[in-house]
Amino acid sequence: MVSFFPSAVLAGLLAQASPAGTATVPSDSNDLSKQFDSILTAPTPPSQSRKTQGPSGSGLMNPDVSVIFDGVAGAANRPRASSAGDDPDFGGPPAKRTGGFAVQEVEVGLQSTVDPYFAANVFLTIPNLQGIEVEEAYAVTTALPAGLQVKAGVFRSAAGRQNEQHLHMQDFTLRPLLNQAYLGADGLRPPGAQVSWLLPLPLFLRLTGEVLSVSPGVSPTFGGGLRSSPTFLGNIKTFASLGESWSLFFGGTVAAGHAPPAGIAEGSTLDSNGPRTWLAGGDFYLKYMPPNRVANYFALSLQSEYFWRHTLAAGTTAAMTDAGFYAQIVAQLARRWHLGARFDQLGIPASSIQAKGDRISGMAMFTPSEFSRLRLQVQREKVDAGSAIYEALLLLEFSIGAHGAHPF
Amino acid sequence: MSRTFTSILTLLFTLLFLALAGPARAEPIRVVTSIETLADLARAVGGGNVSVEALARGYQDPHFVEAKPNLLVPLSKADLLIYVGLDLEIGWLPPLVQGSRNPRIQAGAKGNLDASTAIDVLDVPAGKVDRSQGDIHPRGNPHYWLPPVNALKVAKEIAARLKELDPSHGADYDANLQRFGGLLKSKSADWSRKAASLRGLKVVPYHKSWTYVSDWLGLREMGYVELKPGIQPDPKHLAELILRMKAESVRVLMIESFYNRGIAGQAADAAGAKLLVLPSDVGATAKIRSYTDLVDALLDALLAGAK
Repeated sequence: MVSFFPSAVLAGLLAQASPAGTATVPSDSNDLSKQFDSILTAPTPPSQSRKTQGPSGSGLMNPDVSVIFDGVAGAANRPRASSAGDDPDFGGPPAKRTGGFAVQEVEVGLQSTVDPYFAANVFLTIPNLQGIEVEEAYAVTTALPAGLQVKAGVFRSAAGRQNEQHLHMQDFTLRPLLNQAYLGADGLRPPGAQVSWLLPLPLFLRLTGEVLSVSPGVSPTFGGGLRSSPTFLGNIKTFASLGESWSLFFGGTVAAGHAPPAGIAEGSTLDSNGPRTWLAGGDFYLKYMPPNRVANYFALSLQSEYFWRHTLAAGTTAAMTDAGFYAQIVAQLARRWHLGARFDQLGIPASSIQAKGDRISGMAMFTPSEFSRLRLQVQREKVDAGSAIYEALLLLEFSIGAHGAHPF
Repeated sequence: MSRTFTSILTLLFTLLFLALAGPARAEPIRVVTSIETLADLARAVGGGNVSVEALARGYQDPHFVEAKPNLLVPLSKADLLIYVGLDLEIGWLPPLVQGSRNPRIQAGAKGNLDASTAIDVLDVPAGKVDRSQGDIHPRGNPHYWLPPVNALKVAKEIAARLKELDPSHGADYDANLQRFGGLLKSKSADWSRKAASLRGLKVVPYHKSWTYVSDWLGLREMGYVELKPGIQPDPKHLAELILRMKAESVRVLMIESFYNRGIAGQAADAAGAKLLVLPSDVGATAKIRSYTDLVDALLDALLAGAK
């Protein structure tokens, strides 16, 4: 260790001894030195009682409030074959042109810590101006030991990657087809509880277990069980940082529950368990972004998810297996510009409830700031032997208020 | 099948046991900081009693660090998290702190240190604040760590917090702080001489992040390339800025080393000014390994540009 004191003394002497011709220099030097001394000798108040810099957001005890709006103008030669709950809905009879304006979703977010033990997030959404939905409302622990965290309430399940993300986190205006084909029109977000464990390892490895009460009619895969037969889900996620610029985030999901009878209405009551059904999936997200991203604003990401479903035979239902995936690439080409393409494929193999179908989408996005974006998306969808459905969508999204930052 | 299951269960329980048994061992205080300058200050006052790791690199824009899950690993084990505060890291640190599941570093805990509480904040906006003003920091300018007076105040705050967390080494932290103060004092003659020759220099910063440095050195900020913080400047504003720079004969356009130099370079060329690429954090270049290196490099670059 270098001894600092002699040089400090020497510097002090030099400063004192400087000739009068450079008068401003020694006085400044003394000033800086004196300022250091006064800081060092000032009494230190206990740090817990120090001033804070004032509240952020709207007030001291109010939760952070945010609103995210997604409005769309679109046109299509026919209505889509299937839509997610938060896809823009233009309505209209089948096989006729459709389009116009739609308010795809308005999301109101309320986020706050509850007490020293819990944080809470409530997200209310109004998709297509059709009444208020509780997209998420849950408490999450903040003080459990050993890398454990418990979430309880209604929350987006850890079933793959896109399901956990809200609409405004998606790179495309419509969710991938496998969302509604395997998880549900609103994704998989039933009431339930989740325990996740961040393993004490030198790499990121997270195990998640969930117990979920899926109501009949909200999911094509689950929700065929009695209220005493919940759906179980397990997920593993890991992350590899390949140098400073490349990130690889991938995960696997397995879920087990009971399949609902075909065509069951939302809110129906069941008097026996449907056939046991299994869902397995994998997701992967590869991203290239240099650590100094503002230097040239080039970034690239690849994302893909796959789901496989197997339902056992029961009563009048035959056993069936089906699967689907999507893959997308998004490139940031300039500070405000992104381009992307996605390919969706369902029915590989097809089953009695899932026909073969595919969709190709392309998008160009302009982001004036972090709080607004315009996105033009065009897509071509084909289901079974039906004719192609072409659609163009122009999205305006804005975010106001204090909206918490999102995980990777 | 069942044997595999049993061995997986055994592995999980072993890991759980290790997780629970981990903190019992006598280990250095594990400090994680958001930026590298804070890490250097923590090393200076923590000495051998702490291990220190920074999440962001000095050549990154500290507003836009990616919240990569591997950053959760050091955070999950940290005893003390030190960050710049004033919402500088709001886009990436909060989800990491929550995701770390570490109760020791959550807001309000002893292991959560907002370093901005140690300094006098500048550029606190008066009146109504909204995002039509750009990416404004509503609680004041967070780019405060460069002037030595602020660095020492922050170092003192870190020492105080380390004493609370680790009272048995309190005397060490006091001595380390005095030694760091001595190091700064040994530089004060040189720094003050350089500061004096920069006084009154007319500059145009790219981002409004040099307020504290200008305040310390007496630089005169004649405008900004970014009309509104974080918003790409439009051509009309740039044309006006270039005219003003010419009229006021501003010769220096300052920009942090991590920013895109395209627009700033064009503006500097058009105005006949020099584009000064300046370090703003330890680790901005490989040669800047400590806080004093950082101030030396900054002053030398400014002096070279002022000629």
